[in-house]
Amino acid sequence: MQDTKKGTVTSLASVFPIEEAQKAVKRVQHTIADKQSQLDKLRGFVSDNNNLINLVLKLPEQLSHDIMVPFGKAAFFPGRLIHTNEFLVLLGEGYYAERTSKQTVEILTRRGKALDSQIDSIEATIKDLHSEASFFNATASEALEGLVEIREDYVEEEEEDSHKQESKSGPPKQHAPKSTADNEEYTRLMSRLDELEKEEELAAEGDNHSDEDKETTSDTDDIPYHRPIDNNLQNSKDFHKDIQLDQTNNKSTTTEFPKKPNCQDDADQLNFASLAVKSKVQDGKNNGKKVRFIDQGEKLIHPEEKIVKATTPSKSDVQHQTSQPSFDSAKAFTGSIIEHAENIKTTSREQSSTPAQDSGSQSSKPVSRFKMQRR
Amino acid sequence: MSNLRDLQRELENKANDLSKLQKDIAKNHQVRKKYTVQLGENELVLKELDLVKDDANVYKLIGPVLVKQDLAEANANVRKRIEYISAELKRLDATVQDLEEKQNSKKEMILKLQQRIQSLQAGKGKA
Repeated sequence: MQDTKKGTVTSLASVFPIEEAQKAVKRVQHTIADKQSQLDKLRGFVSDNNNLINLVLKLPEQLSHDIMVPFGKAAFFPGRLIHTNEFLVLLGEGYYAERTSKQTVEILTRRGKALDSQIDSIEATIKDLHSEASFFNATASEALEGLVEIREDYVEEEEEDSHKQESKSGPPKQHAPKSTADNEEYTRLMSRLDELEKEEELAAEGDNHSDEDKETTSDTDDIPYHRPIDNNLQNSKDFHKDIQLDQTNNKSTTTEFPKKPNCQDDADQLNFASLAVKSKVQDGKNNGKKVRFIDQGEKLIHPEEKIVKATTPSKSDVQHQTSQPSFDSAKAFTGSIIEHAENIKTTSREQSSTPAQDSGSQSSKPVSRFKMQRR
Repeated sequence: MSNLRDLQRELENKANDLSKLQKDIAKNHQVRKKYTVQLGENELVLKELDLVKDDANVYKLIGPVLVKQDLAEANANVRKRIEYISAELKRLDATVQDLEEKQNSKKEMILKLQQRIQSLQAGKGKA
């Protein structure tokens, strides 16, 4: 044993002497063998029991059986088994009961169940013992290799404090970051999101989209940050471009919401719009769906055209829209979560968004409905 | 010198006692195991007897002969037996605990004795 500044270094061999560990392994192996033999015995009982059940079931099939009766140790003489449906069953402890074949089988099956439960428990213990043995083996080999154990005093207070600070500084989240690296990344991402939100707010204020930017901020807050964060960032970036390019185009902004389920909704819509013609081919598998898709596409095309007309200066936006679906299209179609309920939603959304296009200032209205749909 | 020898003799005695205790404990464990098996068997019998209808013939094997028994009587007998075995098991548990306590105290005493002998030997080595 060597004393150092911070902790102690102990060779594992001194804590667990090699011979001791090996002895322990041997002992455990011995018990395992014991249990194994017990298990084998029980298995034998089970097979005996099953054979007996079969025999007892078969015996009453005939009125009498010709058998060889054992007489003493070596001799047999021919005999006949009669009363084939009467059994004297040993219940244990010297108690016998007269039973019929059926009742006997019932008793035997109950016994079989008891045996099964015993076997299960023994198997479990054997498993435990095996893991124990492997642990001892590992310890022995480690001790043999001259592994050392290094112990340092754990300074609890500091760790706890830092943890508290971390968790306080971080905004509310589902999963506490496991390491500082994670944490840093997380805070960076969050700050980026905050920035984006601010920009959004500024942009939205210019166009009096107060309702909408509330919506978006709450959305970004709701995002489960750990999994789809990259996606979200991308989406929110896109969202930005859209807002800056064309605030009155309410449709496009809602489309780019960095929210997973909504994204799907809107992405679907967009897909229908852009793939309206294609959808016939793409969804050829399902005829019912095909009809629906086409309907949707036709409905959607109209507002889309309106948008183009209304926002002629921002052609780039339209281009962006068409490019965006291609990003989402894979998701939307591989997922193929287009269900009836959603379908209804989207159609209702269409109706709500069409008037919104006519009066750009009222664009907050469809968003609030959108909000309602989320719930 | 004589002190050391006395101590060693004492240690030997204690070790003998300890081994005796350990043997007792092992024996106790075996008896306990036997009783647990019997208890299980009796419980099985009771279950089956409960399932048997009243008009069924029940026999008890006494020595080489099967003696016909009343079902109610057999049931009562088995119940009594279970009670007895349970009581016995409890008693055995208590004795095992007692023995283990004794064993621990013996172990401690032996440890102390060994330390004393060691210190004595060390002192002698220096002197």
